[in-house]
Amino acid sequence: MKSKYLILLLTALGIMGYCFSLADKSALAQSQDAEALKEIQAPTSEKEFPVPLRPLPKTITPCRACHGPEKDFPVNFKRREDLLVHTNIRLNHGGIRLWCLDCHHPDNRNYLLPLSDGKVIEFEQSYLLCGKCHGTIYRDWRDGIHGKRTGSWNGVKNYYLCVTCHDPHNPKFKPMAPMPPPKKPWTPVEVQARH
Amino acid sequence: MRHKKSSESGSSPGNRPPTDLENSSIKKTNSELLDRRTFMAGAASVLGMFAVSSCSWQEFIQNNFQRMTKEEIEQTVERLRKEYKEKYGKDFVVGTEGPLEATLFGYALDIQRCIGCRKCVYACVEENNQSRDPQIQYIRVLRFKDGDMDLEHSTIYYDPEEVPEDGYYYMPVQCQHCANAPCTKVCPVRATWTERDGIVVVDYNWCIGCRYCMAACPYMGRWFNFAEPVIPAESINTVTHYLGNRPRMKNVVEKCTFCIQRVRVGKYPACVEVCPVGARKFGNLLDPDSEISKIIRNKRVFRLKSELNTQPKFYYFFAT
Repeated sequence: MKSKYLILLLTALGIMGYCFSLADKSALAQSQDAEALKEIQAPTSEKEFPVPLRPLPKTITPCRACHGPEKDFPVNFKRREDLLVHTNIRLNHGGIRLWCLDCHHPDNRNYLLPLSDGKVIEFEQSYLLCGKCHGTIYRDWRDGIHGKRTGSWNGVKNYYLCVTCHDPHNPKFKPMAPMPPPKKPWTPVEVQARH
Repeated sequence: MRHKKSSESGSSPGNRPPTDLENSSIKKTNSELLDRRTFMAGAASVLGMFAVSSCSWQEFIQNNFQRMTKEEIEQTVERLRKEYKEKYGKDFVVGTEGPLEATLFGYALDIQRCIGCRKCVYACVEENNQSRDPQIQYIRVLRFKDGDMDLEHSTIYYDPEEVPEDGYYYMPVQCQHCANAPCTKVCPVRATWTERDGIVVVDYNWCIGCRYCMAACPYMGRWFNFAEPVIPAESINTVTHYLGNRPRMKNVVEKCTFCIQRVRVGKYPACVEVCPVGARKFGNLLDPDSEISKIIRNKRVFRLKSELNTQPKFYYFFAT
């Protein structure tokens, strides 16, 4: 009896040893060069919440080419519905209470209206202007509660400004098509018929 | 004591009186050391052990990840990379980064903002190499009627033209990474445990596939590979972690790990990065200035099924 077990054990050991020798031969050292993630260094505004600078479309810049005290379109403080030039903008923000010059600087369209300190706001800091009306949301956004941030949870973040997600002229978030639903678990045909 | 008692009771093969069958075989093999039939049976059983288990001998003798030494971990990673290279034809990174100091991960989800677009579901599938067929998705997006919070009345199969729909709200559910996780307690082999940074992980190679953890989890946060997972080689994510998104095998349980391969190197989880409405928040609970700490401090939060005392680190909150 004992000899039988011994033989079995020896057979098992032999096979395992053969496996070991095979593995040693094939254990080639593989180079562990991971894909070096090269991030494109875009110029950013050096503000509290740095964001990549987004140049305005060529057709409407510089604003001062048309807008200004002595230019073709002098400042007109009367609220108008139909615009001659910016026809792609249909203002749908704050009902009839708001219009262009409630946010845009009347004398220098390259900037936004100033805060109470009198300093004009740049377009990269538009969140300051948004915060004038939407104070609670602005404070939440500053703390990272409202809105989205990507990048690193303990390091450099990519900030999304208010206007990245909400078109300032039409700020309501647009509905979107959902991704497909999960597959239903398999059910027998007779059960399917009952439902 | 028990061992001694059993050996004294004479149940060991040496002391046992031989049965008729064995008597006959002894008579036969008196002349030879071993007859042909016994040898073949023994060899077949040993070979079968390797063939049926469909795993290499290294995998077979591999230790639990928590008990492995540094060298063993390195060898295992090397073996896994070779296996994945053979299977998918790509060079994989199998990370083994440990938990960061003074870190306890927490997650918050604004159910008021969620629009139920399921972008997180598919970003998670891509990032974490989940099986496409049979389908495994770590995130379930439940749709409730307004004013109803009964999970039994919710559905995950909604498919309208556009979301959000009027009169409904959405609540994504995934692993809640409980501080008092029932799933880790029931594991008979300790193949799943809570890491020091609060992530509940699975050692897929140690998992025996008993699915006790799935029965214990009240959030349906765990998934079982009933069949060999199918992932197209072109869409596989090669940046992986041993305890996270490395390709799984049949008959093991898997789950959300907060994208352990990303968060351990400082990145946000994939679902946070992809959410189009910014409803998903992630951060360090021990840092009072983190987003998650500010949410818990300033907003109205709740935890799913808090009456079960699972103490999830996944918070749902109302931003306004």
